[in-house]
Amino acid sequence: MVVATKQGMARVDELYQERSQRVRELKAEGKKVVGYLCIYPVLEMMTALDLVPYRVVGDMREPITKADHYMPPVVCPFLRSCLDLGLKGKYDFLDGMVTSHICDVGSSLSGVWNYTVKTPYHYHIDTPHTVHDTSLEQLRGLLGAFRNSLEEFAGKKMTDAMLTKAIVLHNEQRALVRELYELKKPDPPLISGAETIKVIKAVQSLPTGEGNALLRSVIAEVKTRKNGPVKKAARLMVWGSILDETAFIKMIENLDANVVMDDTCVGSRPFFDDVKLTLDPIDGLARHYLVDIKCPRTFRARDFYATKKNYMEDLKARFSYLADYARDWKANGVIVESVRYCDTHGYEVPGVRDYLKEVGLPSIYLEHDYTEGALAPLRTRVQGFLEIIG
Amino acid sequence: MTQEVKTRPLNRLKSMYALRAEVDKMYEAGGEAKAAGRPVAWVMLEGWANPILSAMDVVSVYPENYSSLCAAAKLAGPFLERAESEGYPTHLCGYARTCVGYSARMVELDGQIPPEAPAGGMPKPTLLVSSGEVCDARFKWFQSLGRYFDAPVWTLESPSPTARESLTPGTYERNVQFLTNELKQFVNFLEKLLGKKMDWSRLNFTGEGTNEINRLRWEINQLRKARPGPMHTRDFWSVMSSALYRGGADPTAIVEGHKKLYDEVKYRVDHGIAGINRPEKYRIAFEGLPPWHSLGFLDDLAERGWNFVCESAYSPRRPINIDLSNVSDPIERYVRSRYRSLADSIVDEFGPEEAPGVIAEVKQEGSARRLRLRHIREYQCDGVVLHVLLSCRAASSGLSLFSDQLLDVYKVPSLIIEGDIIDTSLFNPAEALRKAETFEETMEHYRKVRKDMGLEW
Repeated sequence: MVVATKQGMARVDELYQERSQRVRELKAEGKKVVGYLCIYPVLEMMTALDLVPYRVVGDMREPITKADHYMPPVVCPFLRSCLDLGLKGKYDFLDGMVTSHICDVGSSLSGVWNYTVKTPYHYHIDTPHTVHDTSLEQLRGLLGAFRNSLEEFAGKKMTDAMLTKAIVLHNEQRALVRELYELKKPDPPLISGAETIKVIKAVQSLPTGEGNALLRSVIAEVKTRKNGPVKKAARLMVWGSILDETAFIKMIENLDANVVMDDTCVGSRPFFDDVKLTLDPIDGLARHYLVDIKCPRTFRARDFYATKKNYMEDLKARFSYLADYARDWKANGVIVESVRYCDTHGYEVPGVRDYLKEVGLPSIYLEHDYTEGALAPLRTRVQGFLEIIG
Repeated sequence: MTQEVKTRPLNRLKSMYALRAEVDKMYEAGGEAKAAGRPVAWVMLEGWANPILSAMDVVSVYPENYSSLCAAAKLAGPFLERAESEGYPTHLCGYARTCVGYSARMVELDGQIPPEAPAGGMPKPTLLVSSGEVCDARFKWFQSLGRYFDAPVWTLESPSPTARESLTPGTYERNVQFLTNELKQFVNFLEKLLGKKMDWSRLNFTGEGTNEINRLRWEINQLRKARPGPMHTRDFWSVMSSALYRGGADPTAIVEGHKKLYDEVKYRVDHGIAGINRPEKYRIAFEGLPPWHSLGFLDDLAERGWNFVCESAYSPRRPINIDLSNVSDPIERYVRSRYRSLADSIVDEFGPEEAPGVIAEVKQEGSARRLRLRHIREYQCDGVVLHVLLSCRAASSGLSLFSDQLLDVYKVPSLIIEGDIIDTSLFNPAEALRKAETFEETMEHYRKVRKDMGLEW
């Protein structure tokens, strides 16, 4: 077994530059690496069978050339970038690919990937859209089917004990990420927003146990290092669609602002709720992946059965955690961002901004096209926003 | 000197007009219901809610249809601008943004229908019924309307597994139970909201009525395989609204209208009459949603002998002919009468000899390629127009792969035209026409390729 010589942020930097380094080593040792898209594939099941989950992301610096043939430019540039990398062979080390019904394009990408990239094992989980009881029951059934398929792929059975053990391991990771985020509460924060993305991305490139070890070493280092972020006028929170590279956050942090909290999916979103340990582990997993993760791809409401709707009460039920984040991390402004053509986040923008306004948090909406070159005009807008919030 | 009388390029079906007029009744019924204090629902088009709402005496109006109506009347622009000023990103669905703009105007007018609204407008909703079917916009859009209305939103879930997962043992039965339980919850919610019980015999009537409409639509579409194609896509789009939006409300009238339509199309088939008044040079399929604001573009193509003989959107499903007398639960019977397993559908479509090969292909490749391309072969299309929409991910994201597979399997080329369902500024008809002219050479080339390969057309 190859042992990483670097620890803490140095190891994070290494993995950020060459994400697949470790999983390629593991593959050479005979492990199976399973790519996954977005945060809805159930990682615990992969870990339970000793498969290595590996998050598939894009590359803002790589021009999309091959994906154009299969996906038109009017769809999510992040997902097009993922496909482009797949078509260029940059995910050729994957033994499997698991997708879920994250959004229209995510589902469509699943089929295109399966047909064109031809990763040996492929599975799509048709995750429902609502948190109705019936949807929860449906997801339980779907996860049962996924479990069967994954067992066949791994060539071994997944007992409830194995699955529970994996849930505990992943919950440990969630707790460690939350501990890392605690280090963003001081002023100045002990770790920047850009560094946080690097850490999460590195963790999502490793087997869970190794990711946890990396998180421990990062937390220990960050707590004691002397060269962390400096104090700045604004403490910002970022809400929105995927930011899997540091460029966007760096653009903000190069101004007079620290990004101290986020609700994004290469950020806090997959880690801030634990999976409940239930007698049948599928129950806890289904609830977590359908109800607990707060991504706009799921329709949630204050009360599905209410015959009268109160808009602000509904927003409060859906977004009050953002006010909690802002209070606990002392954020004084919010960047609401979305990658262009992301419908699920796009429809949420007016509502989330209405809520933020209601609780006295100034916000600005920024749309980007998943290229570094397009960030310059956004910088001017952020500058203006910072002047407004003082 | 004799002056030649030039006929219009399209040969419209006479029975179409009465069905098209049925859609106006939807808006009339909405207005009347509101005036009488009866409930009105804004509903997303999907396969389940309309007969249930009709059975509960709820009048359904469809903002998707209304937005297309605004676009066709060239009146959507101000609503789109209003949605943008309300903070909605401009890449979102054109239907949705038109509806958001309309809703914002309605709030400004204290709940009254905006005077600029065409066709009498949509009255303020009592209920919003959104859907997890087909696209994300269909539930996110209605959720976001909470800004404007205090009406509750009910999202009807439905499964959308990939082809391979659909063939996994247990999937079909699980999905039937899912749909059944979802619809039961929906009925329970309606009973609570309306303070009345479901009339199950009425649901039987509206459910069977809509199934009968679907059966007639399917049979009419079978007739459209004839050469020359007897019914142009524009006629299909003109009549489909009556079936999809008014089927549950007035099944008797819509069934009668479709019987007349069937007879007229059959007459054309028997007498070799085409859906265009020019020689049929090219048989074309339309993939994607229509450019409602610029349908005349298809007339320009008809002038060149392009006959649009089939389309991917709003197509009827193959009728399900199975004995359901042993299913006592009315909702489950309703579900099973309109939801077929993929394995059975493949057998229905391809017959017992070819079906195993198709099923094996799905298991191997993960997608039902032959199933998806089948209509191109059956309708013997020379080309396909792919309408890539700048505001619709669901309709656009799979088109490129479809085009790729189609050329690979059946040597049928595609013409990509970018545009939008609502926004006229995103469509350039002159440029599209120029591309179409060039595309004729491509179709001619592949006609020879298909002939050399021994394909049927």
